[in-house]
Amino acid sequence: MHEMAIAKGIIDIAVAAAQKGGAQKITRINVVAGQLRGLVPLQLTYCFSVLAEQTIASNAYLNLEITPVKGRCRNCGETFIVKDYQYVCPQCHSRDVQTVGGTELRVRDIEVE
Amino acid sequence: MKISVMTDILQANDRIAAVNREIFDKHRNLVINLMSSPGAGKTTLLEKTAEGLRGKLRLGVIAGDIETSLDSERLERYKLPVVQLTTGSPCHLDANMIASALPHLDLSQIDILIVENVGNLVCPAEFKVGEDYKVVMLSVPEGDDKPLKYPLMFRESALLLINKIDLLKYTNFNLEAARRNAVKVNPDLEIIEMSCTAGQGIEPWVAWLVERYQRKIGKRRSA
Repeated sequence: MHEMAIAKGIIDIAVAAAQKGGAQKITRINVVAGQLRGLVPLQLTYCFSVLAEQTIASNAYLNLEITPVKGRCRNCGETFIVKDYQYVCPQCHSRDVQTVGGTELRVRDIEVE
Repeated sequence: MKISVMTDILQANDRIAAVNREIFDKHRNLVINLMSSPGAGKTTLLEKTAEGLRGKLRLGVIAGDIETSLDSERLERYKLPVVQLTTGSPCHLDANMIASALPHLDLSQIDILIVENVGNLVCPAEFKVGEDYKVVMLSVPEGDDKPLKYPLMFRESALLLINKIDLLKYTNFNLEAARRNAVKVNPDLEIIEMSCTAGQGIEPWVAWLVERYQRKIGKRRSA
């Protein structure tokens, strides 16, 4: 249940940003989460709804954008989407692939009133 | 109105982890974050590691457990500095919990500090604690498909310990498939096969620790 800690992080960040901007109410929170994070959206929304009670985010819609795993070949420089955890470059077939996407976990922006 | 935020959700944890890391570096500690499912054999590994490192390097342990202190009791007879963290409900250790354990350890008397995480293949991978390396242990009865089911854990780790290989003959665990699945997720992953209870594979594991310790301290000396 790392979803609980992550939901708490989302609310803390969103509320701080909203207050800094002088907003009264958060209506939407856009979160970018890499596929490698293995987040369970339903669990996250549930944890979020419980923790957001009594905060200015209590009625906010939590939008979760799951980003795919991306690799960059250290051999030829090709950047590609890693499917099924196959860390093999489609251009030169090298296995020397660096993860460059899929581990993101951040609040991108919020919509406020 | 839209407000751009772009803040990492685990930044609070990562910041504390960075502070822990500085403290460890200052004390010349090599710190290993050891993760696995419940019952994979982490505590037995620690017992064997204590024996293996004796006379070479000084071991310390921070053990995470949800409710009991059974793990630290098992380690007591090795006369190691051990701090037991009972997490209550959380399924992982985070940087703040580790920070809270540090006042109870004399880090100047420790060369290698192993953080025995809570048994769980999902959550601990998300939370840095200030470690140099993550090490994941997978035991034969769990099945050879685990790297594909819990990719982040295996992707983040530097070393995979495949434990309980003495049980291979009783299961359908395929060692080759396990290796293939693990390397698929993380081509840089090193793998050591072992049976902690039979004392098999402990030597290469201890050698790995010693080599990583020397690599870290050596690097600091030349820096």
